Amino acid sequence: MSALQTTTVGSFPKPDYLTKARAKASKGEMRPAELRRLEERATTEWIRFQEEVGLDILVDGEQYRGDMATYFAENLEGMEVSGLVRSYGNRYYKKPVIVGELRRAQPISVGWFRFAQARTEKPVKGMITGPYTMMDWSFDEHYGSREEAALAFARLLHEEARDLEAAGATIIQVDEPALSARSDELPLVVKSVGAVTKGLDAKTILHTCYGNYEDIYPYFNRLPVDQIDLEMSNSSLDLLARFRRDPLKKEIAFGVVDVHSHVIEKKAQVVERIEKALSLFDPQKLVIDPDCGLKTRTVEEAKSKLEVMVEATRAVKAEHGLA
Amino acid sequence: MPQTTVVGTYPRIGDSHDEQGLRRTIARFDKGQASEADVEAAEREVVTAVLAEQSAAGVDLVTDGQVSWYDSQSHIARGLEGVQIGGLVRYFDTNTYYRQPIVTGAVAWKQPILVDEWRFAQESSRVPVKAVLTGPVTLASLALDQHYHKKRTLALGLAEALAEEVAALRSAGAKHIQVDEPILTRSPEDLSLVSDTLESLASRKGSAELTLATYFGDVAKIFRDLLELPADVLGLDLVQGPKTWAHIAKHGSEKPLALGVVDARNTKLEDPKALASRVRELGGHVDLGRSYLSPSNGLEFLPRERVRQKLAVLVETARRVGGAA
Repeated sequence: MSALQTTTVGSFPKPDYLTKARAKASKGEMRPAELRRLEERATTEWIRFQEEVGLDILVDGEQYRGDMATYFAENLEGMEVSGLVRSYGNRYYKKPVIVGELRRAQPISVGWFRFAQARTEKPVKGMITGPYTMMDWSFDEHYGSREEAALAFARLLHEEARDLEAAGATIIQVDEPALSARSDELPLVVKSVGAVTKGLDAKTILHTCYGNYEDIYPYFNRLPVDQIDLEMSNSSLDLLARFRRDPLKKEIAFGVVDVHSHVIEKKAQVVERIEKALSLFDPQKLVIDPDCGLKTRTVEEAKSKLEVMVEATRAVKAEHGLA
Repeated sequence: MPQTTVVGTYPRIGDSHDEQGLRRTIARFDKGQASEADVEAAEREVVTAVLAEQSAAGVDLVTDGQVSWYDSQSHIARGLEGVQIGGLVRYFDTNTYYRQPIVTGAVAWKQPILVDEWRFAQESSRVPVKAVLTGPVTLASLALDQHYHKKRTLALGLAEALAEEVAALRSAGAKHIQVDEPILTRSPEDLSLVSDTLESLASRKGSAELTLATYFGDVAKIFRDLLELPADVLGLDLVQGPKTWAHIAKHGSEKPLALGVVDARNTKLEDPKALASRVRELGGHVDLGRSYLSPSNGLEFLPRERVRQKLAVLVETARRVGGAA
């Protein structure tokens, strides 16, 4: 891997025309084909932006997803979607419900991966919502066992990963924001993510955020992926000290911009964060990205944050003579 | 027959357009198109509806649903001296987040935090409304302490401040006050700290019934010690804490319990008949007539429509327990 590559975690904000279109479509006032056309337009725009700003590894931007777990749930048999529940503040989402045996009738995210990859020469990541998070974020009216439900998801998501590989994905990211929900279940995270990534040729990434990293730390090197993607700008420096004592054996994607703040970071601030990362990690094994998906920011905020991030990375590379 | 109660939160919006007024008002507020007074009016409309729904279901002791609480920690913390509010942190094992209180100075009580909300709810309710207070040890554990650098000192400081709130609620007429210490399901070693802090709170409660609520897990190891604490009622989560169930049967309880038997984390509906027969098995060990049945924790983790069904299950279960008693 070349030094200090830049990427993003997955989601981008939806432009106004798409937000309005989704609202209309949900009330049955817009045909699905028309919505799809606008989702494609937004995806194309985000691919173009990522190329223009100079990111190295791209994402499709998830313009077609509402919530990351709900999107997969809507495309699996044995699942329904509940009424609205609150996440925090004024944010609500429809939570998946497991109502029967889980089955994947057809690929879920592969079509959008192909669409995005066809529009760029740069690699686009295949994006999977991880089995542990799918389980933890779903109501379970069927399995009655968290392990059984997580492993059922893992089987289907492994098929999805295989299909993404077959479609040309060289990098597959498994999103596990729920990773730190219950520290006593970390062995289940390892087991279920392992069931997804087993035997894949693609580079695999595990993304998580908002963790009590202290509890998770001993598991980092055991997670069955090549790269770990962590929210860092929004977490304590204690973790860095921990990395120093007990080095990470994997690649790391290091979050350097806060996705929950409207404030656009100053370049110097981001440079400082990257320098901090460089003091700990081999530049060949270090990827620079935002803390998490950018979908909660406005389009302008997201773009500005990424511009600062790429500029800061370039400055650090120049300073250190990294290609 | 056991009475029925709830643990605290209630979904503030539902799936119909009519039940989403608060969400729309806050969205307008965020864009500068609505005032704080508009938000408060919208919240009170929801509180009224939430009280009506609980009462229609037949719940004996209700709450205001904590409708105006941004989250379980910052709502109380922001009312105290010496605390600022920071970034989002995951709330226990739930897929929800709280704004982390940052303790930057000596904590102290300034003025009533919950009294106006409680008074409005009680005036709008046919049945008694329980005031719910985040416990000092849970608050201290989930906060970022930049001042005391010692959880015990912070918790004792918070207890002193919150004791004033208990007294204010009592003076306003609250007959039921609940203190939430979910941290006990994660750190049973905090028991002695909970004991010391609860002492301060209990000393100011007057004749109000004080409930100590634990949830999000079991408290089996410390069950007998919890019975010794200066609370009138002990609240237990018997869904995420099934081990506690066996301990109730083994050790019994002289103290009335709030038995959290209806799963407030999963949409699957319980069978009231089966649930009632399990609860009845505790009859020889606990005075069910003085105890409550409740959901396992606050109700805001479920969609509102399902909450209405869960409350029906709760009330029907209590009725069946009573019917056979």
